[in-house]
Amino acid sequence: MQSSMSRRTLEEMATRRDRSGSLWLVQAFTGLLLVFILGAHMIAHHFIVEGGLRDYQQVLDYVANPFVFIIEVVFVIIATIHALLGARAIVLDLRPPAATVKVINWVLVAIGAVAIGYGLWLALALQRAAGA
Amino acid sequence: MDDIQPTTDPVRPKAPLRSWFDVRGRSLSTLAFALNRLTAIGLTVYLFLHLAVLSMLLGGPESWNRFLAVARSPFFLLLDVVLLFGVVYHMANGIRVALVGMGVGHTQHKTMFYVLVGLALVLFVVGAALIFVG
Repeated sequence: MQSSMSRRTLEEMATRRDRSGSLWLVQAFTGLLLVFILGAHMIAHHFIVEGGLRDYQQVLDYVANPFVFIIEVVFVIIATIHALLGARAIVLDLRPPAATVKVINWVLVAIGAVAIGYGLWLALALQRAAGA
Repeated sequence: MDDIQPTTDPVRPKAPLRSWFDVRGRSLSTLAFALNRLTAIGLTVYLFLHLAVLSMLLGGPESWNRFLAVARSPFFLLLDVVLLFGVVYHMANGIRVALVGMGVGHTQHKTMFYVLVGLALVLFVVGAALIFVG
């Protein structure tokens, strides 16, 4: 009995470690993508625009471009995933109990879904406002 | 390397949060890791603030242009410089952590840190100058 319990515990630990490793890979991959997408975002929005920020009409003209629209939506999705996986890693470093970890996972998924949904809605609303 | 352990690795300091701020006798890796975490928290908060601020665009040109007037004030430009430091440092150290974690350049991780963070500092200085001058 004790042996089977120990074996199960070990398997659970191995599964958790595999999952942690997969999430680490997702974080590394999204991080590398962000180097390019965030770099492009910062240059396009803050460094090549006079005054450092686009005015209202410039923003609408910018998001009216379908390619830019797609890149910005992908940027919101990738940045949110990367940020929330990082937040999870930090919270797990504080060693919460296993039951709390489950709650944290769901809370982070909910925050991510709301942030991505809101970002998509905002981008679509701006594109409509631009008349694209 | 402390910073390439999977998140749930049991080998952790006893007071992880406090240890980020305690710089006494720390190795370069630990300091890099702590600064990476601090910039990560700042950037995560900024991401959600940024999304919230963008909703002002839905209020039309007056709402957005009022925000622009505030965002172009010297205090906000200074905050932009702090943000830029967070971005370039997190990016440079993140590239190093990702590469080392995937088994690339594991033995030269310190050299990689100095080269990447050095490049990041150059980007930071150029970017900070552009924020105030551009």
